Amino acid sequence: MMTYIVFILSVIFVVSFVGFSSKPSPIYGGLVLIVSGGVGCGIIMNFGGSFLGLMVFLIYLGGMLVVFGYTTAMATEQYPEVWVSNTTVMGVFLLGLLMEVMLVLYVLKGEEVGVVFKFSGVGDWAIYDTGDSGVFSEEIMGVAALYSYGAWVVIVTGWSLLVGVLVILEVTRGD
Amino acid sequence: MNPLIFTTILMTVLLGTMIVMMSSHWLMIWIGFEMNLLAIIPILMKKYNPRTMEASTKYFLTQATASMLLMMAIIINLMHSGQWTITKVFNPTASIIMTSALAMKLGLTPFHFWVPEVTQGISLTSGLILLTWQKLAPMSILYQISPSINLNILLTMAVLSILVGGWGGLNQTQLRKIMAYSSIAHMGWMTAVLVYNPTLTMLNMLIYIMMTLTMFMLFIHSSSTTTLSLSHTWNKTPLITTLILITLLSMGGLPPLSGFMPKWMIIQELTKNSSIILPTLMAIMALLNLYFYMRLTYSTSLTMFPSTNNMKMKWQFETKRITLLPPLIVMSSLLLPLTPMLSILD
Repeated sequence: MMTYIVFILSVIFVVSFVGFSSKPSPIYGGLVLIVSGGVGCGIIMNFGGSFLGLMVFLIYLGGMLVVFGYTTAMATEQYPEVWVSNTTVMGVFLLGLLMEVMLVLYVLKGEEVGVVFKFSGVGDWAIYDTGDSGVFSEEIMGVAALYSYGAWVVIVTGWSLLVGVLVILEVTRGD
Repeated sequence: MNPLIFTTILMTVLLGTMIVMMSSHWLMIWIGFEMNLLAIIPILMKKYNPRTMEASTKYFLTQATASMLLMMAIIINLMHSGQWTITKVFNPTASIIMTSALAMKLGLTPFHFWVPEVTQGISLTSGLILLTWQKLAPMSILYQISPSINLNILLTMAVLSILVGGWGGLNQTQLRKIMAYSSIAHMGWMTAVLVYNPTLTMLNMLIYIMMTLTMFMLFIHSSSTTTLSLSHTWNKTPLITTLILITLLSMGGLPPLSGFMPKWMIIQELTKNSSIILPTLMAIMALLNLYFYMRLTYSTSLTMFPSTNNMKMKWQFETKRITLLPPLIVMSSLLLPLTPMLSILD
C-alpha cells in the first residue's frame, strides 16, 4: 500500500473537493476543506516537502480556515444543507464520485499510477545552489529561491492578494 | 466609488494585461489573467443594481472556467515537455484545450453566449473596457502559440463566430448588444487569419479597437443606449450624427474607409494560401454585419426616425467631455491609403 500512498491520498483529495463543490452549506464545505488540507499536506510530504506541509497545516488550516469557520458560524442558517438533504446536492456529489471512480479505473487499468515528469534538460533555468555540500532539503531551497530569484513572483502575488481584498470590500460595500 | 480605490483597481486591470503580454512563464500568464479578472469585476459593477451584478457574475463564471481550462492545458503541456516557457504547445491535447480556453475568454462561438448579456447589463464605459481592453490579453497568447494551434478547430470557431455575430445582431435595437455581436464577428475575422499570418490578426485587432472605441465614445457623448435614443442626435449635435454614419460604415468594412483594410488583407492572405471558399463565405457573412450597421445609420443620420414630438428634444445632464474623439474618428475612417505601409511589418 505504501507504494500507492500518493495515489490513494490524491483520490481522497479529489473526493473531498467533489464534496464541497456539490455545494452543501459552507460549514460542511469547511469540514471537507480540513480533510482535503490534511490529505494535501500528506501528498506534499510524500514528495519530501515537509516544510510546505507544515505551512499548509499552520497557515491554511490553522489560520485561514479558522477565520472562515468563525465567519460562517456567524452567518449560518437554521437548517444547513447536508449532502443528503437536497436531491440536487446529492446528485452532483454522486456524479462527481462516479467520474472519479471511472478515472481511477482508467488509471489503474493502464498499470501506471505514477505520473512521471519528462524533464528535458535545464534550459534557461537558473541553478540555485547554496555552495556548501552536504545534505539539504530541496524544497526549502525552493522557498529560498522564491524570495531571491523569484522576487517578481512575490511582488505580483502580493499585489494580487491586496487587490483581492480591495475588490471584495468594494463589491460587498454596495451603495 | 472612492477615486483612489477606483484608480488602484483600474491600474490593476492594466497591470494584469501587461503581465500576460510580457511574461515568458506560463504560471505568470495565468496569474496575469486572474489579476485582470479579479480587478475588472468592481469596474463592471460600478452601478449597484441587480442587472450589473448579474452581468458581472456571468462574466466572472465564464472567465474563471476559461482560466481553469487554461491551467489544465498548462499542466498537460508541463507533463509532456517538462518546461514552462511559452514557445509552442507541445501536445495536441494541451493545444486544443488552450485554444478552447482562450476562445472562451475572447467570446468566440460556441462560447459567445456571455458577450451580449454581459455587455448589455453594464454601463457604456465599462462595456467599452470589456470589449476592447479585455481582448488584448487572450489575443496576445493566441499570437504566441499560433504555430501549434489546431487549424480545424480554430477555423471552425472563427467561421461560426462570423456567422453568429452577423445573424445574432440582426434583431437587436439595444446598442450595447449590437456592439457585442459586432465584437463576436470581428473576433472571428481575427482568429481566421491567425494561423496563416498572425501580423494581420494584430492589424485587425488594432483597427477594431480604434473603431469600437470611436463608436462607444460617440454613444457616450450622446448618452444613448438604444437605437431610438441614438436617432435623436440630429437634434442635439448634427455633427455627431454624420460621424456616427462614417464610423459605422467603417466598421462594416466599406472600401474608402479604414475598416476595409483588415478585411482586404485577410481575404488576400487566405486566398494566397489556396483557400477560396472560406474567404468567400466570410465576406458574404460580413454582409449581415453591414446590414445592421446600415440600419443604424439609416435611422440615425439618413432619416428622421419616427417618434412622438415631445421626445425629439434630447434631455441629459451636462455635455460629456470625451477625450480624443476627433483623432479617433479620423483614424477609424481615413487610414486606408496608408495600407502600403504594412510592408514595414515584415
